[in-house]
Amino acid sequence: MAAVRSEQPAVVVQGVDMDFGTGAMAVKGASFALEPGRFLTILGPSGSGKTTLLRMIAGFQAPTRGEILIGGRPADAVAPHRRSIGMVFQKLALFPHMTVNANVAFPLKMRRHDPRTIPARVARYLDLVRLGGYGNRRIHELSGGQQQRVAIARALVFEPDLLLLDEPLAALDRKLREEMQLEFRRIQKELGVTTINVTHDQREALVVSDEIIVMDHGEIQQHTSPVDMYRSPANPFVASFIGVSSFLEGLSSPRGLMVNGVDCAGVAAGAILPGMPARGAIRAEQTRIGAAAEACDTVLEGRITDTIFEGERLMYFVDLPALGTGVRIYHHDPAEHAPFEKGATVSTGWNARDLLIFPAKDR
Amino acid sequence: MISRGQRLTIWSLVWLSIITLSLPTVVVLGASFTAGNMIAFPPEGLSLRWYEKIALARDLRQAFFRSLIVAGVCTLVSIPVGTLAGLALSRFRLRFAGVIQVYLLLPFTIPLIGSGIGLMLVFGQWGVLGSLWPVGVACAVINLPFIVWSVSSSAVLLDPDLELAAQNCGAGRVQTFLYVTLPAVMPGVITGSLLMFILAMNEFLVSLLLTDARIVTLPVQIYNSIRSIITPDLAAVSVVFIVIALAAIWLLDRLVGLEIFLKSK
Repeated sequence: MAAVRSEQPAVVVQGVDMDFGTGAMAVKGASFALEPGRFLTILGPSGSGKTTLLRMIAGFQAPTRGEILIGGRPADAVAPHRRSIGMVFQKLALFPHMTVNANVAFPLKMRRHDPRTIPARVARYLDLVRLGGYGNRRIHELSGGQQQRVAIARALVFEPDLLLLDEPLAALDRKLREEMQLEFRRIQKELGVTTINVTHDQREALVVSDEIIVMDHGEIQQHTSPVDMYRSPANPFVASFIGVSSFLEGLSSPRGLMVNGVDCAGVAAGAILPGMPARGAIRAEQTRIGAAAEACDTVLEGRITDTIFEGERLMYFVDLPALGTGVRIYHHDPAEHAPFEKGATVSTGWNARDLLIFPAKDR
Repeated sequence: MISRGQRLTIWSLVWLSIITLSLPTVVVLGASFTAGNMIAFPPEGLSLRWYEKIALARDLRQAFFRSLIVAGVCTLVSIPVGTLAGLALSRFRLRFAGVIQVYLLLPFTIPLIGSGIGLMLVFGQWGVLGSLWPVGVACAVINLPFIVWSVSSSAVLLDPDLELAAQNCGAGRVQTFLYVTLPAVMPGVITGSLLMFILAMNEFLVSLLLTDARIVTLPVQIYNSIRSIITPDLAAVSVVFIVIALAAIWLLDRLVGLEIFLKSK
């Protein structure tokens, strides 16, 4: 339904800067467009500017420079309370003195909906978030997950064009968080509402999103689909922020990367000429160990310096004397339960397509 | 572990505080029930005759109602002023916030006799002395810091996102204030206004300076009586004051205790 609503992007952010005048800019030259009905996650470490960007889209702050268009119209042309934007806040910001019903009815009341239609609409949205029958409860009588659902219902009940999520899952325990991630995804697909989510949790970004923007130091590092983000990170920062990667420093070579005189197989992930200083990134689960490593494009001798048991898998810290550095390796070993011993010498290897080589100047 | 000696010390301190704090009340309470003609403790016999006397005394009754009016005016003036000032001080990053805070605390730094004379001169110039409402306004001015404090302490607990959330729900500024901000700081407003009511009810020095013989308030009336002759009816009047204060505290507990109960967290 959202796709029919308009031909133009739901949100356009154009060269947006935010300068609080406290040294480094909070957001620098942010530009992106989001098509209607898509679920976008802005991912970044704390202080990366992701929440500032979201608050500017919500209209709580005006950008220092640049423009934000929502549904084709400049965002700041409309007062915050007249914009059709639903928001779920980090600390939820439910009204503590109101019941669940009153919280969810509040946007409808403020937007002057026909009072006779409000109760039915409220009940419908409480059902959507699976809180049917909880309407007369007080906010403090609900669990964290239930309060979360009330906040979602309140943000969606007036059927906004855009839904903004400001790290609302950060405070929940892991199990509940993962449950709510799937819940967000389900509700978003059911309603087709354009959604922008902000988080520092890379797993959440991969699970819920149609597309991801990674931010660092106020700048957009990459904007692409979760699969692309994982498989083809634009720079070492993205490679290190999403998933677990090891880094090798050296000089770019025709085959890949020359590290400490060893020519490692790899592929260039950016504009790079042979002989330039370069940095290779390899994911922990794409680095092989033991017999599996023998057939790889690059095989080196390694020594296991530490082992971490993570339940469904093991992580090995492997020192590679030939390269003068070490790598981290994820190893699934469900059948044999025969981990390598600490101190053991093992074959370590990877295939050319899995070692991504970036110009060294990239962060 | 608390040793025997420590326990003894703690309990002696507790009882000392309880006795010194409640002794005046107990003495007045006892003296008011005396059957004799002299204010004395322990009372000579038990009777309610002095209560009967103050209930029938027209001047006391009128002074009592005047004090109620003064307290009412004071509360009505201080609720909007104190609430808005308290909110502004804690919610907005104001220029000169420190200066404004000190300015609002000024009434505490000036001796009551000083502010009383100042107010007397101002009201005299305006030609409003001789009516009751200026006394209420004066009480509001000198006690304002109490309600400002009590509202600010409620307001700093407020999640700033609450107001943004209200805007996001489509509430304009006025609606946000009425439906979200005000209910959230209501405990502070209630506490502050009951405090203002009791303080104005009991205010003596400023009332003395701002009232004349036709409009004396209850504390001034009592003072005038003490100067002529001390009889047990004054003890009975004091008990009425204590009962009013207790009623206010009970109300506070009912209203604010309930509010806190309704809050999440």
